[in-house]
Amino acid sequence: MIGAILDRAKTSIAKTQNLQDLEDLRVSFLGKKGELTALLKGIGELSKEQRHKSGEAINQAKVSIQTLLTDKKNHLELIALERRLLAEKIDVSLPGRHAEMGGLHPITITLNRIQSLFATNGFEVALGPEIEDDFHNFTALNIPEHHPARAMHDTFYFDKNTVLRTHTSPVQIRILEKQKPPVRIIAPGRVYRCDSDITHTPMFHQVEGLIVDKHANFMQLKGLLIDFLRAYFEKEALKVRFRPSYFPFTEPSAEADIECFICSGKGCRVCKKTGWLEVLGCGIVHPNVLSSVNIDPEVYTGLAFGIGIERLAMLRYGVNDLRLFFENDSRFLRQFR
Amino acid sequence: MNILSSWLREWVNPNVTDETLAEQLTMAGLEVDGITPIAPAFKGVVVGHVVSCDQHPDADKLNLCQVDVGEVENLQIICGAKNIRSGLKVIVATVGAKLPGGLKIKKAKLRGVESFGMICSEFELGVVDLSQGIAELEDDAPIGQNIRAYLNLDDCVIELAITPNRGDCFSVLGVAREVSAHYNLAFDLPEFKVFSQGDCAIGTSVSDTKACPKYLTRAITGIDNTVKTPKWMADKLVRSGQQLHSPVVDVTNFVLLELGQPMHAFDLSKLTGDVKVRMAKSGEKFELLNETTLNLKEDTLVIADNDSVLAIAGVMGGMASATQNHSSNILLESAFFEPTSIAGKARSYGLHTESSLRFERGVDFNITELAMERATQLVVEICGGQASKVNVCIDKSALPELKPITISQEKIQKILGFELDAKWIEQKFINLGFEISQQTSDSWTIIPPSARFDIRIPVDLIEELARLYGYDKLPVQKLSLESNISTIYEANIDQYDIMKSLINRGYQEVITYSFISEKYQNLISPDAKKIRISNPISADMSIMRSSLISGLLQTVESNQRRGHTDARFFEIGLCFDGIKTDEQSNKLAAIVTGNRFDAQWSADLQPLDFFDIKADLESLLALTHAEFYFEAEQHIALQKGQTAKIILNGEQVGWVGALSPMVQKQLSLPKCYLFEIDLISIKSRNIAQYKAFSAYQQSGRDIALVLDEAVPVAELIQSVKAMQQKYFVDVNLFDVYIGERVESGKKSVALSLTYQSLEGTLTEAQLNAKVDEVLVLMQAQYSATLR
Repeated sequence: MIGAILDRAKTSIAKTQNLQDLEDLRVSFLGKKGELTALLKGIGELSKEQRHKSGEAINQAKVSIQTLLTDKKNHLELIALERRLLAEKIDVSLPGRHAEMGGLHPITITLNRIQSLFATNGFEVALGPEIEDDFHNFTALNIPEHHPARAMHDTFYFDKNTVLRTHTSPVQIRILEKQKPPVRIIAPGRVYRCDSDITHTPMFHQVEGLIVDKHANFMQLKGLLIDFLRAYFEKEALKVRFRPSYFPFTEPSAEADIECFICSGKGCRVCKKTGWLEVLGCGIVHPNVLSSVNIDPEVYTGLAFGIGIERLAMLRYGVNDLRLFFENDSRFLRQFR
Repeated sequence: MNILSSWLREWVNPNVTDETLAEQLTMAGLEVDGITPIAPAFKGVVVGHVVSCDQHPDADKLNLCQVDVGEVENLQIICGAKNIRSGLKVIVATVGAKLPGGLKIKKAKLRGVESFGMICSEFELGVVDLSQGIAELEDDAPIGQNIRAYLNLDDCVIELAITPNRGDCFSVLGVAREVSAHYNLAFDLPEFKVFSQGDCAIGTSVSDTKACPKYLTRAITGIDNTVKTPKWMADKLVRSGQQLHSPVVDVTNFVLLELGQPMHAFDLSKLTGDVKVRMAKSGEKFELLNETTLNLKEDTLVIADNDSVLAIAGVMGGMASATQNHSSNILLESAFFEPTSIAGKARSYGLHTESSLRFERGVDFNITELAMERATQLVVEICGGQASKVNVCIDKSALPELKPITISQEKIQKILGFELDAKWIEQKFINLGFEISQQTSDSWTIIPPSARFDIRIPVDLIEELARLYGYDKLPVQKLSLESNISTIYEANIDQYDIMKSLINRGYQEVITYSFISEKYQNLISPDAKKIRISNPISADMSIMRSSLISGLLQTVESNQRRGHTDARFFEIGLCFDGIKTDEQSNKLAAIVTGNRFDAQWSADLQPLDFFDIKADLESLLALTHAEFYFEAEQHIALQKGQTAKIILNGEQVGWVGALSPMVQKQLSLPKCYLFEIDLISIKSRNIAQYKAFSAYQQSGRDIALVLDEAVPVAELIQSVKAMQQKYFVDVNLFDVYIGERVESGKKSVALSLTYQSLEGTLTEAQLNAKVDEVLVLMQAQYSATLR
């Protein structure tokens, strides 16, 4: 009897092709009203010995059927899953649903890089107005009226006393007017000169740097700027040279050149055959400048430098036309994303 | 300043190549912009003498010449130049010569006759730019001499970029001093012997000796100014970039270049009465040498005679008293004008002259006499004539004071960070012509030379020492370490984070000019104060922007023209409400146009709308954790009904909206949405403070209210929040419906209210009570009914 049920169960389970049928089978054999359950209910009428024997056999059959059912169920589920996966198959080579990323302007990228590099040396960022008065832009920087250096600045005027700042140096004055030494700042920003041709735009960017300290000196200025240039261009062995120059607000004054890495110093169009590229101006803050903000030049020494941002960006990213920076052509800007 | 190498080397001749010398000058602060050879490379070219010149037997336009080049036999050369003739001294490229441009001279046959070389023009040697027939050399040119030697072609021009502090280097003498200081090659100033007799026929007086402390004149009479300027002088002038005039003018230019002293020569016969150095009178007219007439200003120092102005002092002479070829009596002027009295004057008349360039920067006030002697000597040598004695007007007290400057080793070391050898310092001071007036073991007191207007204070001396030592040789040092950690304020929102947030949402940063056209200003902010640049580059760049929008609109416009129809741009920059410092503040503005996503397989093309840009804006505002509100607003450049002002703490801090169709049409733009906000309003955030959260379940209730369509939903939500109900967590708007299923003029607003208690799960009754409170308020405030 049990054997027959077991055989039947085996055959029907084997034949079953879906989970619902399998469940029906489970109910018909093992359910409350199932065949084996019915048999179990019947053994109460048997003798104790037979009851025991029969019970055991029924239970064994139950376990066997249960195992068959579970195995079959796993099997069917696996098939069902396979079928679903097949149905859900996609072309994974299709591009993702995308929203385009924007990007920073290359000048901002360059400014950020410069700021981060100086931040590692404790320089804080200071800002100043772009419409400046004559005092901060010129006079306090040791450029009195009629100084030949003024003619070199091609200044935009609003009135006799008000200009668009021609350099970021007035921020030096504004900082020193309210902050006592030691000072260690950089001042990035827009500057303006009344000049427009292939190599000049009427607006461009500079970063001014200023250290005022009791123990600052020219050797430190040189060391700092060499370190900066090597870090900026990520060239440890970059050759940097300092040569004397003139700025009314520094004395001694210097300009720094880097070896032209386009021609490796051999001389090319970019470096005008000199093998060197001028990248920044610097110097020891002129005592008249410190005096104009009531700092004793006998006690404190100022180190100052000014870096042309467009120049550094052009060299780093191989941009060969300054004007591209302000045309804001997407084809140009996207390249820096 | 162009310096001819050979001229410089007449004064001081270091044993180095021109390239090395140029490098040295650059490293000493006289930046060399370039070295230009006088002539390109060529060889095999000599002086020849045309012994005979006959017509070619078979060619009308060719000549058959016999040319003596100093060889045993004359050379037969065929020449087609019109000016060829017998007896000429010419330039001959002999067989085997290599000319510039690679031309090789070979034996040739022209119409059956052999030719052994070529007679050249200076153009063919690359010495001049224009061909003017074959060169006719001086009669005394030595036959057979290498032409490079004869014409001094192995020479070059060193172009110096002189900084404003080094006015002393605008002369051969000045550069020679620099070179001598570097190479320890001393030289003495030359002396010029001049025979003079008789007083100067014309008297001089100086009324403003502060502006003109020294004024020297001398008459030279009976000169012949029609002679040719000698070749040696002409070559020097032309090669240094000067044009040739008459010998007298050439001499003054020569002295200017040689000694740095600007000089002037007046035609004596054209002067009336005495010469006066005075300030111009108001309204006085003056015709310059270049034939333009000026209205002089009262602050201008002039040279005048009894009748009229003769010259603007230190700038330019006048037409009326200028020397001509037929001038036979001249008055030479050599003066010292105080730099500040000349500075800016030339520029104020739109002039820039060799003379003003030097006087503005300072001319050696001890060279005035020497220059007069030199010029006199040259004029007499070239043009003959009789020199008078010099008429001297001098006010010694008005001459620049050369105060002693003291510098100590300690100061040098403090500034440079490096100790220089005392002996070396002393040597360099001497080389530079600094007079050491006092000296101790570790300090020097020097008196600067009269040519050096840039040496006034101790640091000026330090720069001299440093540059002569070589900036490059100075060692480097690390910054002295100050190991204090500076505060980084967490409440400050980094500008970079703000930009990053926009970039992540697809925005490209742009940088546009801070000055815009009046047209844009009128379109976008007609009421803003117009801050005009008085000397703009162009009308399109004449007004300082009061908003970033014009730059963004221009950027969209130019990119549209290039076919970029989808765009998201932003800019951060100063905007200007006035010229004062506190009227300049940073704004952030953004613009979007086109589709939400670019064309792709997995998304439909949908045009961007107001709520796209508002979402981007809100993502920025969210950085601050502050409550911003939006209220309907009108803006001249924006579309009515699609514009909102942004409010923080009751103040408007910006706006967002659609570009008005009017502006859109005027600028031929597509539909754009924009916002602009004061950067300061999103530059700080509240620092998080932990609050306990409930362990119990939230309870929520959705309500749909029907109310007047005109009520702004934001206000509704704000009212709910303002109730500050106990257990209140959040209110969320999840639907707005206007249509057939609500009464006309009404809308349905679906809100989801959430409550939660820290003590336990709220009961149904508690929740109902809370929701009822809201409903009561909505009814009272907005006549809103439950739908």
